[in-house]
Amino acid sequence: MDTMVQFAQAFIGMFNKGGEILAGWVSGIIPTLVVLLVAMNALVKMVGNERIEKFAGVCAGNPISRYIVLPVIGVFFFCNPMGLSLGKFLPEFYKPSYYAASTGSCHTLNGLFPHINPGELFVYLGIANGISTLGLNTTDLALRYLLIGIVINFLRGWVTDFTTAYVQKQQGIELSKTLKTN
Amino acid sequence: MADYKSVVIKAGSGGFGGPLTIVPDAHKNKVVCITGGVMSPVAQRIAEMTGCELVDGFKTRVPDDEIAVVVIDCGGTLRCGIYPQKRIFTVNLNSTGPSGPLADHIKADIYVSGVKPDNVSFAEGVATPPPQLAAAAPAQSAGDSGSAFKKGYDTSKKITEQSSGSLMAKIGQFMGGIVSVFYQAGRDSVNTVIRTILPFMAFVSMLIGVILGTGIGDVIAAILSPLAGNVVGLVILACICSFPFLSPFLGPGAVIAQVIGTLIGVQIGQGNIPPHLALPALFAINAQCACDFVPVGLGLAEAESETVEVGVPSVLYSRFLTGPVSVILAYFASLGLYES
Repeated sequence: MDTMVQFAQAFIGMFNKGGEILAGWVSGIIPTLVVLLVAMNALVKMVGNERIEKFAGVCAGNPISRYIVLPVIGVFFFCNPMGLSLGKFLPEFYKPSYYAASTGSCHTLNGLFPHINPGELFVYLGIANGISTLGLNTTDLALRYLLIGIVINFLRGWVTDFTTAYVQKQQGIELSKTLKTN
Repeated sequence: MADYKSVVIKAGSGGFGGPLTIVPDAHKNKVVCITGGVMSPVAQRIAEMTGCELVDGFKTRVPDDEIAVVVIDCGGTLRCGIYPQKRIFTVNLNSTGPSGPLADHIKADIYVSGVKPDNVSFAEGVATPPPQLAAAAPAQSAGDSGSAFKKGYDTSKKITEQSSGSLMAKIGQFMGGIVSVFYQAGRDSVNTVIRTILPFMAFVSMLIGVILGTGIGDVIAAILSPLAGNVVGLVILACICSFPFLSPFLGPGAVIAQVIGTLIGVQIGQGNIPPHLALPALFAINAQCACDFVPVGLGLAEAESETVEVGVPSVLYSRFLTGPVSVILAYFASLGLYES
């Protein structure tokens, strides 16, 4: 009987522990998150899609604006996955590269701006929870994640330019580097 | 005007629903505008283009079966649901999605929101009017509606219902617009939290509870610590995750990255992994990010099929090349983090 009681206690103990963690997250993370989401969603609505699309056309010209400015601004306002749609303002050759840069951006910006990719928030939040457990401030981590993310996402986009050229040669396909006007 | 034309109304920026195709006929020929104060330009434009009669819904009642379309500016409580419930085409000037007590009736086939005058266009397949007529008609109707609705102060109406676009009405509409944007943003945010964030929190807390409550935590620590506890291990982890034959299977929903992230978070919390390695770890566990999604993502960018053929292997290769590099860069960026 004692073994059964012990087993039952251990069993329910696991879920008590889980419940404590859930309660901590709901009271510690959700309120700020909701308020932040409201502000960000409202900002996105006020700026409007048309302005960002116009802006995307301007960014297409060079690698710096294409893989640094556009993935940050575009993903901030269009979020995941519609931020990827801004690739339509680029020539065919650069679309995979923009994809590589902007999908990275969907994560690296997510630490400070969770409205971008709430469905995949736990990539960041899971690790950041460990930092909170130690009593340290997670903003430091989120900010560094964002800043080094900009560098790394540029690299991701720029390297893809070369891999695209390589695959192109391998498959004998030539993709246009100029924007089609229709 | 007995000659009715069909129009297509699309959702505006941030709007929901549509596109709606409005096909008026001799019986169903009224555009009812129920917006605060001013006759909305959208309603006027729809009336002009279709040739329907524009009716101020605050002044008269129109039998439901004569309404071709109703134009409202509801922030998401009642009006936006009433007409869809009656299956009457509804155009909302605010970008309100399904909400309010009648939210269930607000469907994309009957309701469109966030509409601006530019979102209204003639339906395809309908003979477009000859150029001179098209040019003349809007101007003429604009004149008509102008004379019909700008008669100066009308003592039979409340001040907010004056149609002359007075300062009061403009301020009121501006405030209403701002409030409705924030209100909708609040609804979107709470929906996001309930639909995507809370379920994941529930699942992950259950997982952590089991890990901490049983001995599994020690086993996971024994496996993860050598990999995630130092920069060489993290680079190896990134190589594994981004390996081109493996990466597309690790990607979906970032579930694997999220679970591994949580496990590493637990280890950081227990002191098995130094906290500054959180930054390179973020890149190591997610080196495969979006590798499963390339064709869809390129499709969103309206890429041609050739671009997709080249793009899929290209992105997989570049992820493999940049995965380890990104971990090393993040490691240098993490120097000095949480050291005090």
